[in-house]
Amino acid sequence: MKENFFRSMTWMHTWVGLLVCWLVYLVFFAGTVSFFRDEVTLWSKPELHSISKPPAEPIRIAQQREQITNGIAYLANTAPDSSRWRISLPTTREPQLVYAYEKPRAEGSKRFGGWQTYIINPETGEATAQPRDSKGGNFFYRLHFDLHYLDARTARYIVCFASLFMLVALISGVVIHKRIFKDMFSFRKNKGSRSWLDAHNVSSVLALPFHIMITYTGLITLIFMLFPYPALTAYEDGLKGLFNDVTPTNIRTKSSTQSAPLVSTDYILDQVYTNWQSADLTSFSIRDPNKASATVTVRASTADLVKDQTPTMLFNAVSGELMAQSAQELTTSEVIYDSMTALHTGRLANPLLRWLYFLCGVAGCIMIATGCIMWAKRIRERMKKDQTASFGLKLVESLNLATLMGLPLATCAFFIANRLLPVSTVQRADKEILAFFITWLAVALFTLFKRAKMQWYLLAWLNAVACISVPLINALTTKGNLVSYMLNAQWALFSFDLVCLVCALLFILQAKKLRTQLSPPAPNTRSNRVTKPPLMEQKG
Amino acid sequence: MSELLQFNLCLLAFNCFALAKFNHYRDVFKTRPSQKQSQQFIIVAWISILLSLLLCVVERQGYGVLLFCGYMALSVLLLMIFYSFKASWVKYISAVNVTLLLLSGSYIAVI
Amino acid sequence: MYAQSINKAPTRNPLVRLKMACKANVYALCVISRFSAAIVGGYVFTAVFTSLLSLILPLSKSDAVLLSVSLTILIYSCVFIWVFAIKSLKTVWITILLTSSSCFLSIALLKGWL
Repeated sequence: MKENFFRSMTWMHTWVGLLVCWLVYLVFFAGTVSFFRDEVTLWSKPELHSISKPPAEPIRIAQQREQITNGIAYLANTAPDSSRWRISLPTTREPQLVYAYEKPRAEGSKRFGGWQTYIINPETGEATAQPRDSKGGNFFYRLHFDLHYLDARTARYIVCFASLFMLVALISGVVIHKRIFKDMFSFRKNKGSRSWLDAHNVSSVLALPFHIMITYTGLITLIFMLFPYPALTAYEDGLKGLFNDVTPTNIRTKSSTQSAPLVSTDYILDQVYTNWQSADLTSFSIRDPNKASATVTVRASTADLVKDQTPTMLFNAVSGELMAQSAQELTTSEVIYDSMTALHTGRLANPLLRWLYFLCGVAGCIMIATGCIMWAKRIRERMKKDQTASFGLKLVESLNLATLMGLPLATCAFFIANRLLPVSTVQRADKEILAFFITWLAVALFTLFKRAKMQWYLLAWLNAVACISVPLINALTTKGNLVSYMLNAQWALFSFDLVCLVCALLFILQAKKLRTQLSPPAPNTRSNRVTKPPLMEQKG
Repeated sequence: MSELLQFNLCLLAFNCFALAKFNHYRDVFKTRPSQKQSQQFIIVAWISILLSLLLCVVERQGYGVLLFCGYMALSVLLLMIFYSFKASWVKYISAVNVTLLLLSGSYIAVI
Repeated sequence: MYAQSINKAPTRNPLVRLKMACKANVYALCVISRFSAAIVGGYVFTAVFTSLLSLILPLSKSDAVLLSVSLTILIYSCVFIWVFAIKSLKTVWITILLTSSSCFLSIALLKGWL
């Protein structure tokens, strides 16, 4: 493209990066929050806060047989005609026991009818109050690749291409940053766009293995949508053939209308435990219960193996015979593919690794944010005094302000709405999401007519206030607060509030920094806008 | 406890990498490092980073590699902050780092 | 790489006028062409290449597919970067088209479509 390899890589890095930076920022932001998906969901349902953490492993596993047996009895009593039952067992991240059955489908419809769930306190065995209707962490999880308002398929294609660009930008970034290890720790303060460059470099270098890994594996999770061709060429029946080949427990028996009694759960569980000693089960589900075609699927946790496919066993629920089970020993290619998915989802992570993932995700957000700010700053610095900003520059600056500062504000609005909307509101979960997008839209409109440093300053304060108000409103509207969480060792909730406060602190610092640049009419015309706004406003 | 040991080894490694550089050494100690000192720092750094990786992998295989990447990110972040904003604190941080390293190491050796 | 010389005399011939318009925007066109070579060309090449790979890898069917699928992104990003690294646009397009079609031909031969 340009005269030499180095120049063309620089050119490509800049433009490929700029093209998708806002979308990738959204994806990174939502993805970083989703590392704590279960914890955020727990936070957003205060009714579940009183359920204490399940006991450690040996005792928890010992309880599972009883929980399953009780669950089946409960469901057989409540919904004998439903076409699916599910029992989700408590885990360290989701302390509640859930009994669920499928609601009756619409007449003649084949679409899944949705789950009717009962939350059970595993300690007492009693059903708890129905928690408020909220998507919690699942909203961010879906936003991460479905972008909410778009059709899921289109959105995933868009996210795929954006991540592809991101990967290309990352690789070219490594190429053009020649002194990558030389100035790893240096950060030149107060040097205009130089400081931005340093912040960009530091945030990308410090988590470079993570950035490349997460982008690559992210694409791998959607790979069968992006590149179904190898499967289509190798298999006559395409993806279906492949999946049936890879997951033997995928077989579906034809539904029959003939009724037949279920085999005793003990018979099935005995087989499970003889096959997998000390299996830590996570779910037990029955398809077509009380029919001749009934099947039982038992899933166990993968513990901290780098493996995404959960160990699964499929039983005939009438005769109790084992129909299929997931492969115990994976082949090399399966290991490669499966471990990549596991690396991306991070479901394997224990708290320490989860926090490190989170930290790296924040570094990713900063990398993207500093990258797009730098682009605008460089153009501004190169402009002559009497020159007016071009439309492109204005657009980029607007988008920068709207995305970088709007997204955290919208996130806060989502959490505040979660606490303030009356529990009885109709379609409550959707209203929370509406609050998220309305806030973001408001910020975007605000940036349309002005986006100078003053607006950054105002939004920084607004963000700080919003971040503080999340734990504050939480303390006022629920029984728990930062102190009680600490005393009761509810660390998930405690860290959520703490992260909010840390974000608030960072926004205040940013506002202070911006203020020092706003007040004195700088004698030097040389740009001295230097802050590195702490754009690390995730919620944990 | 082994996590603490692994992380401290990683932090020590990057600290040594930084001190092996002329600028950073001068910021911390106000004197110039000799050629030999720089070399020694680099050797210590490589030994301790490889040791950290080794410990991670031996203990938890694939999961350990992930942890190690996370440790690297955290150590570089910490050092970057201290070297750019509070170079005078680096001495104390290093002391704490080495103490924790020895403590956790001896704890594991004893148990 | 850039458009060839154009008749100097002003003319009403639409083809020549089109060429002139092209010349004015030659840089933009080059950029567009290069991006489409990278995105579309890279995609097509990766798709046929990995499909071929899934057929010829000496592994069981599902393993071959999973392995080639895991490599797709690596291949795609390498092609992407290569497109931007090569100076001549013509070379880029010719290489992509030739390699893709030869891969496709091999698949067709292996599957017996011809």
